[in-house]
Amino acid sequence: MKIDLSQFRQLFLQESAEHIALMETGLLRLRTAPGDVELLNGIFRSAHSIKGGAGSFGLKHLAHFTHSLENLLDRMRSLEVQATDEVIGTLLRSVDVLRNLLDADPSVSEDEPMPADAVDLDARITALLPGESALTETTLELALLPQEPRQSQAATVEEARQITLYKVEFRPDREIFSSGTNPITLLRNLAALGTVSCCHLHTDDLPALADLDTSQCYLGWTVELASHSSAEELREVFEFVEHLAEIRISSSDRTHSDRPQQLLFALPRDEVAETQIAAQPATSPAATLSAPETQPAEAQRVFVERRKAPDEDRRKSTVSDRRQSSARPAAGGESTSIRVAIDKVDRLIDLVGELVIAHVMTAQMVEDFEPSCLPKLRESVAAMERNTRELHERVMGIRMLPVGTLFQRYSRTVYEIAQTTGKQIRLEMSGEETEIDKSMLELLGDPLTHLIRNAADHGIEAPEVRLAAGKPVEGIIELRAFHRAGRIVIEVCEDGAGINVERVRQKAIESGLIAPETQMSDEQLQMLIFEPGFSTKEEISDLSGRGVGMDVVKRNVQQMNGTVSLTSEKGRGATVTIELPLTLAILEGLLVRVADRTLVLPLLAVIETVPLRDEQIVRVAQQGEVVVIRGVSIPLLRLARFLGVTQQTVDAREENSNRRLAVIVEAGRRKIGLVVDELLGQQQVVVKSLERNLHRIDGLMGATILGDGRVAPIVDVTGIGALDLFSLQAPVNELQLSALRDQTARAAASSQRNRGGITNELV
Amino acid sequence: MRKVLIVDDAVSMRQMVSFTLKQGGYEVVEAEHGQDALNKLAGTTVDLILTDLNMPVMDGITLIQNVRRMPSMKSKPILMLTTEGLAAKKEQGKAAGATGWIVKPFDPEKLLQTLAKVLP
Repeated sequence: MKIDLSQFRQLFLQESAEHIALMETGLLRLRTAPGDVELLNGIFRSAHSIKGGAGSFGLKHLAHFTHSLENLLDRMRSLEVQATDEVIGTLLRSVDVLRNLLDADPSVSEDEPMPADAVDLDARITALLPGESALTETTLELALLPQEPRQSQAATVEEARQITLYKVEFRPDREIFSSGTNPITLLRNLAALGTVSCCHLHTDDLPALADLDTSQCYLGWTVELASHSSAEELREVFEFVEHLAEIRISSSDRTHSDRPQQLLFALPRDEVAETQIAAQPATSPAATLSAPETQPAEAQRVFVERRKAPDEDRRKSTVSDRRQSSARPAAGGESTSIRVAIDKVDRLIDLVGELVIAHVMTAQMVEDFEPSCLPKLRESVAAMERNTRELHERVMGIRMLPVGTLFQRYSRTVYEIAQTTGKQIRLEMSGEETEIDKSMLELLGDPLTHLIRNAADHGIEAPEVRLAAGKPVEGIIELRAFHRAGRIVIEVCEDGAGINVERVRQKAIESGLIAPETQMSDEQLQMLIFEPGFSTKEEISDLSGRGVGMDVVKRNVQQMNGTVSLTSEKGRGATVTIELPLTLAILEGLLVRVADRTLVLPLLAVIETVPLRDEQIVRVAQQGEVVVIRGVSIPLLRLARFLGVTQQTVDAREENSNRRLAVIVEAGRRKIGLVVDELLGQQQVVVKSLERNLHRIDGLMGATILGDGRVAPIVDVTGIGALDLFSLQAPVNELQLSALRDQTARAAASSQRNRGGITNELV
Repeated sequence: MRKVLIVDDAVSMRQMVSFTLKQGGYEVVEAEHGQDALNKLAGTTVDLILTDLNMPVMDGITLIQNVRRMPSMKSKPILMLTTEGLAAKKEQGKAAGATGWIVKPFDPEKLLQTLAKVLP
């Protein structure tokens, strides 16, 4: 039987990536708590697990390297090596090497020499070890699954063509049962290696019946057997009990060319049979000994098969590796799979079950419909709705991951910057358990890296500057995640110098972003750093900069229907706040009618709805139309005009002026009143991306398909909030208008095609 | 069918061992660490335990010591599944009452052979 374990490779790689992340976090924490044994144990276990698995898949570089690492960590556990900055620095670099080794293309790397950085670091690790290593190369060989047939085995089999007569004396200790060893099993295994000609039972230690302790073994055996096996192979039978028994194996030098003798069972004549049975109540050993006829030819065939097998296996695994690696996405082998707790899946299955039942019931009622069962039918439809909703939530829940998995990596970023710049920086995190859609987590990686780098590199001042300003030498960067009003908020906050508004202003003028005479508030000026091509640092530093600016942060966040904002106080630091929707795929929507169109507003953004009469609308210079609600003036945006939806009939226009409503929404940091004609209701909508088929339209975040099959655009409230409203109140852009018509028409067509309940392609 | 309890904190390793044993015709129970294993043993009996040594919560050696105190498991074989090439670890395991050991990475066929070797 050939058992192929290569299917577990992907799982191992995924698991190892997690271990590497754990090691990294652990090491960074170890810097502040060098004596934390549990922490060290955890790091050790991670390295250990990687090593254990690496060998199983023939990843010899990885196995070798983790072995060295484990060695060092073990010395740290035994306090022979102290967790100095140098040691931790080396270990952190090792983590990078591990990552590279793990990412290496499996089909090519293993026959190549180990990458230079790994060799280099390996030497460094060895240099940190005091004295000679306890785990030597020979033990390492043990840790690698042999990919070649063992030569010694070949030799053994060659020799073993001849039958040798052995005499095996086996005298177990009285305590042998306590190790879970059954001597009979051993004797049976021994017997399987050849033909037993004689089995002698030693009963000399047997006590009187009254003194017998059934948990003790009083017996010993001498077995004579004719076998093709070597003495070593015979000894292997007793591999696990060498410390629990006396084992003597002797062979008579004459080889036994005769046919194997009949099984002989020699009862010791001077012993009483009953006593033996009492001492060994299981089965009498000899009675169960069997002597299979092992033919030399057969033994050889087995060997040949075994020699072939590993080669074949290797070829096979190489092929499958190639397949695997070509199937991997281009982005550095990042896995696109999600690991889901089994109970989450079980709950989904339950829900689907309930849904099926609810459906059957409903179908039945529709089949034998009578007006009297209408309430029941309603009930059953409501049950289906509940199920569907919960199913939605749970399926989305599968995509949710704690942000901590992303946050972890920034400890390292900050550590590296602190090392290079000579600053003292502490990264504090909170809300790591906050869950966020997996696809958003991926999109968030780069912007956060940029923000953290910025905070550490530009924000936090050099120690002497901080001291001079009367601040603690150590700068603090806080990375926080939390929920606020149904959105996820992520903040990067530093207690550095803050943003120099005057510098920003100068820079913006230099780069032509604003005209010299432009009047702007500090807040507006600060937001300029998110504009493309803006950088305030005099020289572009090695760490941040590199041509990409905060505009990338803004773009990525907007791509997720999120917003970025910034507050800063000169000399006190700055906080960048990213707000994101909980998930990209489903939102609770408020359906509104604008002219003859149905639009969806994200319900979470809606604060209130007020009736709007024409006389309430006030025109303000430089601001356009506003409505005053409870003393606060709120700018208005006529959605019909903004989206280029024109009135189709005169009737509609008349009706309009009387029943118009203003939906007050929270758009980023301000409130806006969206002018609509009617509220239609509230429902969960599945967000479909427009960009996939059409181009992006400012003010729309996507579209959804309504219950009746129509397509409804979803208004991007935060996006609108970020726009200059006054200019938007001017006549609508022709291009936008035609684009919207175009896209709704096409989306409607595609929805027709997709009818039949297909709600795939979640964004 | 013979029942084997696999104890290892690494999911991939557990699944590989589990897969191998199922191929070999064994019934498998899995546990993440020593304490988990003891909990599982409270509800079921097994014919053999295959345990990793380095685990969080409760390590393999402590598990073996505990299992040997259970009347139903006193004389059942326990194999250590470990990367430890160090003799000291093996000795510790043996002293705690382990029957034998299998070195990780394991060869699936060899694993089955070893199991057959210690199971009565």
